[in-house]
Amino acid sequence: MIAILQWTTLAVCALAAITRIPSALRGENRSLFTIYAFVTAAILLSIDAPYLAVDGVLGGFNLANLLLRFIIFGTTFALGLRIARGFGAKDGLRLITGPYGLAFAGAASAALVVVFLMMDTAGSSAGLVAVYAKDARNAALVEYYGAAGRLYPAYVTLALLPAMVRTIRSRLPGLVRLGAGLLAVGSVAMTLSLLSPVIPPSLGYLRFIFSYAAILCLLVGLAVIWASKIVAAKSPRAHTGLTG
Amino acid sequence: MPLPAKAFQLWLHGVAPNESTADICRISGIKRTTLAQQLVRGKVAETTLVSISRALKRSPLDDLASFDSYAELAGPPRPPTPAELVSQIATMDLLRAVISRSSPAYGGFGDEGSSLTPALGPAPHATSVRNWVDSIDDGELRHRVSAATGVAPQNYSAQLTANRLSPELAVATARAAGVGFTGGLVATGLITEAEAGWPARARQAALNGLSDGDLTALAGERLQSLGKTLRRQEHEHEQTKKIWENLG
Repeated sequence: MIAILQWTTLAVCALAAITRIPSALRGENRSLFTIYAFVTAAILLSIDAPYLAVDGVLGGFNLANLLLRFIIFGTTFALGLRIARGFGAKDGLRLITGPYGLAFAGAASAALVVVFLMMDTAGSSAGLVAVYAKDARNAALVEYYGAAGRLYPAYVTLALLPAMVRTIRSRLPGLVRLGAGLLAVGSVAMTLSLLSPVIPPSLGYLRFIFSYAAILCLLVGLAVIWASKIVAAKSPRAHTGLTG
Repeated sequence: MPLPAKAFQLWLHGVAPNESTADICRISGIKRTTLAQQLVRGKVAETTLVSISRALKRSPLDDLASFDSYAELAGPPRPPTPAELVSQIATMDLLRAVISRSSPAYGGFGDEGSSLTPALGPAPHATSVRNWVDSIDDGELRHRVSAATGVAPQNYSAQLTANRLSPELAVATARAAGVGFTGGLVATGLITEAEAGWPARARQAALNGLSDGDLTALAGERLQSLGKTLRRQEHEHEQTKKIWENLG
């Protein structure tokens, strides 16, 4: 079940990245293609087999996991900027690029590195499952490490949530609003995934559902917005004008 | 509230005893699946009845009145007020009337209803519904309709903005305003002016009856609200373009 979710997310994301190649070659929104490519890489790194391969190359002490976290931070920042600009979210843009946003990014990065160094990270293991299993101290550190890694994405998506809600309630084209709605659900799921450490083990599957639902919603939301552009280009009747 | 399917079938059997459903659909231009779906759900749309009635060369108004929920339509016909008639003239036709009344130096004829001015476009027009409600609104109408029907004021307003109003609400609005029932049915496009029993040039006559001052003020109000609508659309278009530039 969780494996299905992981591979589905990977497939959706890789598909999105591939379908964007032609427009990226034409020079349209190259950064969006880069974002998709990085998210694909991030999802690859959270799946066992690819993770073990990459981490093996990097020395087998889970440096790949730290790399994964920073790929996510960078992608979140880039995506947050584009979404904020696109939706005209001045408040969100200020929260992301302003002093608070930068301080948040810095603090989350520092926390990640410090906790990573404190852990006994020997032995490749996707999601640091093996490190978690070592002893109570390492288990606690893995929890902190995961929380620090989710903190910044949650901050960015939460900063954009008001703009998404505004768009849903606006009178913009239906597909644009649907896209904004999916982005909003993704933001909420991303924030809920912060609760992972306090979710009891019996409900452990919820952790995966929150994080993968967040990624899936964000990706599909972006794809829907892209689709709305293509649909509109094919039916050139943006508004009624004086003839209405 | 749409028409109950049972009563509809009874009516259909009465007016077209020998035609099959397929025949009815063919002559009235209704998709068979649409009609079948409405019958299965037990609610037949008023537009379906009107289409069939029209195709059978009957009076849609009388046929509508034969249903319990529209029984009020059967009473002695009350003609629309001049304000209602003028509300069913398109903004561009009002502006043309303003110019027509102006001096020849500005392209006018200095008179009203000149035979040289093009005929009015047919009702309904792009803002028919809102203009009709505005023409019969004493300031409290929306509240009374809302209280009588239980439809929330914001839902009612949304329908007006979308130039839509269910036949049931159109009738309720006319009742609350104390005017004839045909105005709303014409404004929503359910029936035509002729089917409503309006004289052929009733709208033109009402327009001719407006003083220069009233006509100009009305045209000004219409232009202002059209300007607002267009500016809102332009703004939304800009927002959408920006979203597509960044994320599309």
